[in-house]
Amino acid sequence: MNRDWKNLFPSRRMIFLGAGGVVFLGLTARLAELQLFRQQEFETKAREVRIKLEPAPPHRGTIYDRNGRELASSKRNFYVTLRPEVAGKTREEIGKVIERVGRLLRLSESKMRSLLQEAVAGPRHRDILVADDLTWQEFAQVNVMAPELAGISAEVGELRSYPLQAAFYHTIGYVQKANEADITRIVEQELAAANEAPESPEGKARAAAIRRLYKHPAMRVGKQGIEAYGEAELKGEPGRIRLLQNATGRVIDRLPSEDLAGRPGKDVVLSIDAELQNFAIQRFGSDPHARAGSAVMIDIATGDVVCMMSTPAPDPNLFVSGIPSGPYKALREAEENPLYHKAYDGVYPPGSTFKMVVAAAALESGAMKPEDQVHCPGKAWYYTRYYNCWRPEGHGVVNLHTGLQKSCDCYFYKAAERTGIEEIAKVAKRFGLGHRYELGITGGKSGVVPNNEWKLNNPRIRERWYPGDTISAGIGQGYVTATPFELAVMVSRIAGGPSTPNPRLIMSGFKVPDSTITPMGEFKPGVLEAVRAGMFAVTSEGGGTAVRSGELDPEGKLPAPYTNARMAGKSGSAQVRVITAAERDSRGRAIANDKLPWKLRDHALFVAYAPTDKPRYAVSVIVEHGGSGSSVAAPIARDLLAHALRHDPGARKPFVPQQRDVAAADGVQPT
Amino acid sequence: MIRKDTLLYKLTQLHWFLLLTIIAMAMFGTLILFSAGSSAHDLETGLLRIDPRFAIDHLFRFTVMLGVMLFVALLPLRLWASLAYPAYAIGVALLVMVDLAGNIVNGSQRWLTLGPLTLQPSELMKIAVPLALARFYHQMFAAGRSGLWIHIVAFVMVMLPVGFVLKQPDLGTSLMILGAGCGVIFFAGISLRLVAGIIVLVAAMAPLVYYFGLHDYQRERIQTMWNPEADPLGAGYQLQQGMIAIGSGGLAGKGFMEGAQKELDYIPEQHTDFIFTIVAEEFGFAGSMVLLAAWAIAIVQGMVIAGASRSAFGSLAASGFIVTLLLYVGINVGMVIGLLPVVGIPLPLISYGGTAIVTVMIGFGLLMAVHLNRANDMTLRGLI
Repeated sequence: MNRDWKNLFPSRRMIFLGAGGVVFLGLTARLAELQLFRQQEFETKAREVRIKLEPAPPHRGTIYDRNGRELASSKRNFYVTLRPEVAGKTREEIGKVIERVGRLLRLSESKMRSLLQEAVAGPRHRDILVADDLTWQEFAQVNVMAPELAGISAEVGELRSYPLQAAFYHTIGYVQKANEADITRIVEQELAAANEAPESPEGKARAAAIRRLYKHPAMRVGKQGIEAYGEAELKGEPGRIRLLQNATGRVIDRLPSEDLAGRPGKDVVLSIDAELQNFAIQRFGSDPHARAGSAVMIDIATGDVVCMMSTPAPDPNLFVSGIPSGPYKALREAEENPLYHKAYDGVYPPGSTFKMVVAAAALESGAMKPEDQVHCPGKAWYYTRYYNCWRPEGHGVVNLHTGLQKSCDCYFYKAAERTGIEEIAKVAKRFGLGHRYELGITGGKSGVVPNNEWKLNNPRIRERWYPGDTISAGIGQGYVTATPFELAVMVSRIAGGPSTPNPRLIMSGFKVPDSTITPMGEFKPGVLEAVRAGMFAVTSEGGGTAVRSGELDPEGKLPAPYTNARMAGKSGSAQVRVITAAERDSRGRAIANDKLPWKLRDHALFVAYAPTDKPRYAVSVIVEHGGSGSSVAAPIARDLLAHALRHDPGARKPFVPQQRDVAAADGVQPT
Repeated sequence: MIRKDTLLYKLTQLHWFLLLTIIAMAMFGTLILFSAGSSAHDLETGLLRIDPRFAIDHLFRFTVMLGVMLFVALLPLRLWASLAYPAYAIGVALLVMVDLAGNIVNGSQRWLTLGPLTLQPSELMKIAVPLALARFYHQMFAAGRSGLWIHIVAFVMVMLPVGFVLKQPDLGTSLMILGAGCGVIFFAGISLRLVAGIIVLVAAMAPLVYYFGLHDYQRERIQTMWNPEADPLGAGYQLQQGMIAIGSGGLAGKGFMEGAQKELDYIPEQHTDFIFTIVAEEFGFAGSMVLLAAWAIAIVQGMVIAGASRSAFGSLAASGFIVTLLLYVGINVGMVIGLLPVVGIPLPLISYGGTAIVTVMIGFGLLMAVHLNRANDMTLRGLI
């Protein structure tokens, strides 16, 4: 047996352990050098001042109306922040500082309490907002007192302001301080846009940067409307300020940093005409019957949405610095639903305004000819029951023209029965119903264009289509619903024909693709003409439901080319409750609306366009619980159309915002 | 009196001193990892923040591996000798597969997915190479063979896996396999003159390797080591921040969970390869010395075990593993304190992460098996 290795092993082991000893000695020596002899140096380094970049909120893009009027802009904002770690170590110390500054700024007790809570609970090195939107006097006062108020600093920044107040609350929305949910959402969106994984180093860095930016006391986030939809574009790129910081993260000073300016957010131009919008709001406001409602007007020639209002509306400026919970609760619980975008989110039975769809479908499918006559005795029996006409006395013999003119329900029961729901649904889609229009606003709903498939697939119904459903649909009741916006599109398509451009709200600033809009397509000759003639008869021929409100320009005062322009339209009333037989009087008439509580009255609708010879503006008006469409909604629609013709927003060249410096430096010329 | 062939007897014969040293180090590691996730004064809130996830994971892994270690220790050493060649062969085969079909992580092809398993075969080789070499020498010595050629064969056996691992590229692991293999050859009695000659040759070749044999990033790391201040935001950043943490710890350290540097995320991978910075910052020079002393004790104990084994296989396998241990500690601490370039070598039993602890605990198990079987000179009969 070879014993060489065994004899050698002890000496080899000594050599190895000797080498190991040298290694450990080397490590020990180095550690001694670093920790014992150079400790001072490293301790200093640990406290050493270093420069850290922190985001500075960028200038938020302005939102203009089509004429360049500022709808959402940034005003100078004096605000006061508190840095808890400088204010003090204990709750009492911080509380004292908050109390002193609170007295100076006359903050409420509850506000001071919530500030103290925020200061104690949150990260202590991060500034919290004490108050903003201060007057110059308040700002100056805090500035003077600042040396005595540890951790308090008075700053100048920008704050969103909405000069037209409530007029654009629903469409533009508002900004507010970002909460955790907002930040999480934005991080997700921006990571998806940059195609970065949340776990990757770049993704983490981006998420951290977004988080820091939105935690900045002067930074706001779009909460709804265009402000929320266009957040990425409106926001811009944050600049950075240089902070002197030691290794423990304490900020020592701020350095000027013009070279680190951010990119301002994009300006957005809306197709809406603020003047027209304001007029609509005042028109609603001055009408005692119109407590709540909405109006949408579309320029038929361009598709521009020139008016889109919902009333009543709160002032978005109230929200920017945080609205107290009391007033907010009142807004949320008000029966007029002021927080709700009735034009875009409100889904209503279209009532008789749907009769154009049925008429067009009947003609297009060949189920009815224009001259086909229907006898109206005031009610008609279909399948299992009577269906009432709105006029218990009946309309006698009616055809398509007089049916539309007098809004005879019996005619449309018959037309619907003969046409069938599938054909009606097809035409409804071609008229632009049943679609959520992507406008660049958050929210938005699509009304229902029902058919057999829809009913079978609807998780809450799951039944086949019954023939009786078609009869109800014939007068825009039953399952049929539409938003005022959809109704405006419908009228613009009826008036403008197949070449009508799709509606748009954002003229510049960001793109809003909407690829799923159903095209209108060509109708058989005479179909649209017959429908238009019927709508014209509504406002202009004796016996028309809205003939009393059908005169656009009785005195010939409208400017050319609209002098003596005529309008065409259609009224509608949408029941908000089922009328039982007990509620009808002996003659079959339902209880008059004005005797019912407001909440139970019918919605009043009117859709119209003008001028009839060369249609330019289409409008849809809904007055919630306004009662009769022809007597409440029609005059409003008439006044809006008249004002639109007088003012003619579509005729003026749309506003193009000035490019800001940064873009100009890139070689983009201001246009 | 306990009968000598029972499991209970074997347990009483375990090297308890070494076992306690290992357990003590793993507990210290758990404590440090608890601190790595926690903070006495969180920078965001200023309050105590506790995140024991690293520590719990570590403790769990260690407990599982302690069981594995005892299992390895209590099986007959003969069995491990029998498994040495197959383990080596499988390891080399897996390395070839990694080369052909491995997963690329962080630019290196180190991992192999086999069904539900994800393996890092290079890790296996840290154990398999010394084992196979020990088995080889054991056989050669038993057959009465000696001479330079057996060392050359052994060296080829080392270089085969080293070449594959280097190609991945994984400089740290390949150096460790090379070190462990060369260690076994050294203990097997290769002429010291030859060793000296090779060392001189390697020293002479070093500049050539530096300029032609290394990847750019590897060269960069070496440059960074000499001059970390040159690039404070790039590669030297981690190193410099680590050194600030260590240096500012001073003699006694800042105290448990009081380390400030970890707060700022200045030191990436602080809970894995740079864990020593927390030890040094929070427990100071004294704490660092205690940890290094514990490792020194483990290494010396290991060498005592290696020397006490009557079989060449036991002695050499144990020695090879001890060389691996010394390399782990020396390279990891050396790179953290700026004596060596940064290579991805963790500090076993302290660093967070599963791979090193598996290797080291299996190695300790073998060491214990060598200790239990020290009286057995293991004739070749019965070896598969």
